[in-house]
Amino acid sequence: MMLLAGERLSIAFGGVHAVEDVSLAVAEGELVGLIGPNGAGKTTLLRLLTGILAPDSGRVLFEGRDITRMPIHRRAQLGFALTHQIVRPFRDMTLAENVMMAAAGGVTARPWRALAKVDARGARERAMALLARLGIDDAADKLARNVPLGYLKRMQAARALALEPRLLLLDEPLAGLNAAEATRFADLIVELNAGGITILLVEHNLGEVTRIARRLLVLHNGSLLAEGEPRAVMARQDVRDAYLGEEAHA
Amino acid sequence: MYYVELLLVGLIWGCTYAMMALGLTLVYGLLRILHVAQATVFTLGAYIGLLAANHTGSLAAAFVTGALAAGALGPLIYRLVYQPILDRPPFVALVASIGVLVAMEDGFRLLFGPYGLSFENNVWFTTTYSFAGMTVNLVQVWMVVAAVLLLSAFAVFATRTRAGVAWRATVSDPAMAESFGISVTGVRYVNFLIASVLAGVAGVLVGLLNNLVEPGMGGVIAYKGLAIIVLGGLGSVPGTLAASLVLGVVESYGTVFLDKLLDRDAIAFLFLIVVLMIRPHGLLGAR
Amino acid sequence: MDYYLSVATFAALNVILAIGLNLISGFCGQVSLGHAAFYGLGAYAAALASVAGVPFPLAILGGVLVAGVFGIVVGFAALRVREDFLAIVTMGVGFLFLGAVRKQPWLGAEMGIAKIPSPLDKWGYAALAIGAAVALVLLSLHVRRSWMGRAFGAVAQDEDAARTIGIDVAGYKIAAFFIGTAAAGLAGGIYAHMTQLIIPDTFNFIQSITILAMVVIGGIGSTYGVVAGAILLTLMPELFRFINDYKLLVYGALLLLVMRFSPGGLAGMIQRAFGVRLA
Repeated sequence: MMLLAGERLSIAFGGVHAVEDVSLAVAEGELVGLIGPNGAGKTTLLRLLTGILAPDSGRVLFEGRDITRMPIHRRAQLGFALTHQIVRPFRDMTLAENVMMAAAGGVTARPWRALAKVDARGARERAMALLARLGIDDAADKLARNVPLGYLKRMQAARALALEPRLLLLDEPLAGLNAAEATRFADLIVELNAGGITILLVEHNLGEVTRIARRLLVLHNGSLLAEGEPRAVMARQDVRDAYLGEEAHA
Repeated sequence: MYYVELLLVGLIWGCTYAMMALGLTLVYGLLRILHVAQATVFTLGAYIGLLAANHTGSLAAAFVTGALAAGALGPLIYRLVYQPILDRPPFVALVASIGVLVAMEDGFRLLFGPYGLSFENNVWFTTTYSFAGMTVNLVQVWMVVAAVLLLSAFAVFATRTRAGVAWRATVSDPAMAESFGISVTGVRYVNFLIASVLAGVAGVLVGLLNNLVEPGMGGVIAYKGLAIIVLGGLGSVPGTLAASLVLGVVESYGTVFLDKLLDRDAIAFLFLIVVLMIRPHGLLGAR
Repeated sequence: MDYYLSVATFAALNVILAIGLNLISGFCGQVSLGHAAFYGLGAYAAALASVAGVPFPLAILGGVLVAGVFGIVVGFAALRVREDFLAIVTMGVGFLFLGAVRKQPWLGAEMGIAKIPSPLDKWGYAALAIGAAVALVLLSLHVRRSWMGRAFGAVAQDEDAARTIGIDVAGYKIAAFFIGTAAAGLAGGIYAHMTQLIIPDTFNFIQSITILAMVVIGGIGSTYGVVAGAILLTLMPELFRFINDYKLLVYGALLLLVMRFSPGGLAGMIQRAFGVRLA
């Protein structure tokens, strides 16, 4: 069974089809890249999968279960984590506290249970371990508003991992990082995948994404244009045209 | 005929709301501030206008002085209250604005007494016209005329003049506007000036309409003005104008049909709440 | 003595109101400009119950529940609209409450409800109000330390991010509204029995702003700060009799000055001066 599947997803904004009749599936353990020129509908598709937007038609399945209308926090509780393209830390919390919030998922799931629990040591331990794993434990007690973007990107990944996700959706995780940072972060993604987490990433950095993904999906004008092994996909004429078309227009 | 008259009365109130709410929308559109203190600008315009009218006997003098006083107060509030706290979270400016309103309302009470003042010779109030079985007075006529004239003048300003284009550019993208050499600070002052003059004129008109100027007269209109700009979709000028007229009419019919259940202010806010529950971004807002 | 008792009782009621609002606005980040409506709901519900012969403790409980249930309703409304919209909606809730009560003959319309039975003496009300205020302060301090308080903080800072890490944003907002408005209902019930007369205007927009002023001047988000703000604003007109005539002028000016120079309120000033962060 597929871990995540989108079936014939469509959504239109003001009569314009942003995503039209897209079906995709991600199997357990895969590392899939979703690419496409600007305006192809990548972010919209991701939002449909994560539940930020509801599709006009089509379904989203998680382990065969229909989650199209399930609220975002319930998906997160099922093990469906995502990171935002623009980092969204809790700015007035330290990095450790940010990760602790996710690490305490069992406690915070219900407000009344959360009211009864004060002890934070377990969550802090797990948060510190994750921060160390991502190499940012030196800044654990700094406020999120005071640390650089590279740290926040990794903190966001740590926060997603603290949910113990089975599926991680990454929205342009490499955006804003320099080449060395991007390579290191891409390696981390591979490592996480090797550790058993299924990953779908939307990425603009074609070099890195063809290097690390084992399968690519290409979106163009809101529809799925191509799908397959990265090098083969990138060699296809229609894919090249889609990207070149963008450059010709730019 | 009764229902037509209610519609007419509602539209007249709608014009008043529009003059108040347009300014609130302009301020919100530019600075994301819910400018509750606009109520004091409105009330100051009314008091100064009344004092001028009673002193000179001229209603024209009332409008000129009322508009000038209001036009001075609004930008002053921006300079002294909002400008230093623009980078703080939105509730800071809102609470500060409420502070200005509460303090100034009490100030008006201390200065001019709690029971309000009346115009000595309110000829517009006593001049009435009857047609088709309905009666309106000259204040009501001027209310509509003033709203149409001032709002049209605003539309011309915004679309046809260099200053207006600069203003619109700043609203949609302040950083970009600044890079084109537009003075963002200047635009903000102009913005408050326009909003305040409109409020001042509306203040004098409402004072004439009720033949009473009292300390709390601005509060409720400003709160409704906020309800209107929320209904209109926050920051949308056409939405605000439409919502003003709709609210005026809803209140007008509501006070007849819901009189046993709710008072006028409650009807306005009930309408707001019901609309927002159905359309969270306002009457004309995107989904 | 009676005078001091009644001032102490009012200070305690204001602490209850301010702590409740701080839970909603300070902890959970949901701006509310209509808190007085819930104070009024509690007062009216408890008064009606008492007048109908319901025993005092049950009447008070009734006030708490009615206010809390309406708070849940407004909490649901808060899920549909955010920030600036929510501020206006809650302001509207206040006007709606007032406008509805004023028109209902069975609620006494403009005249309010009189001859509410009063089972306690002045000492009794003072003890009850102060006891309730202390209990609420302890609850507020506990909430802040608990995971509920941490989750409130996450919702207040970025609700979209909170959702993506599995926090039930809707559930927390409704919980905050319930606790905060139920507290206001408790204050209302005590107030109604103590004064034996309630009129709609006691629960108007200015009352909502006064409660907000206590929270903001004390320091939004800080329990101790808010307690200090509530006590200070209750005592100020009493200590300085000449202020009473200019009470609103002073409130307004204080709101403005605090926002302008120390948006963190008294708690923020203490933090800056001594480097101590008040809970």
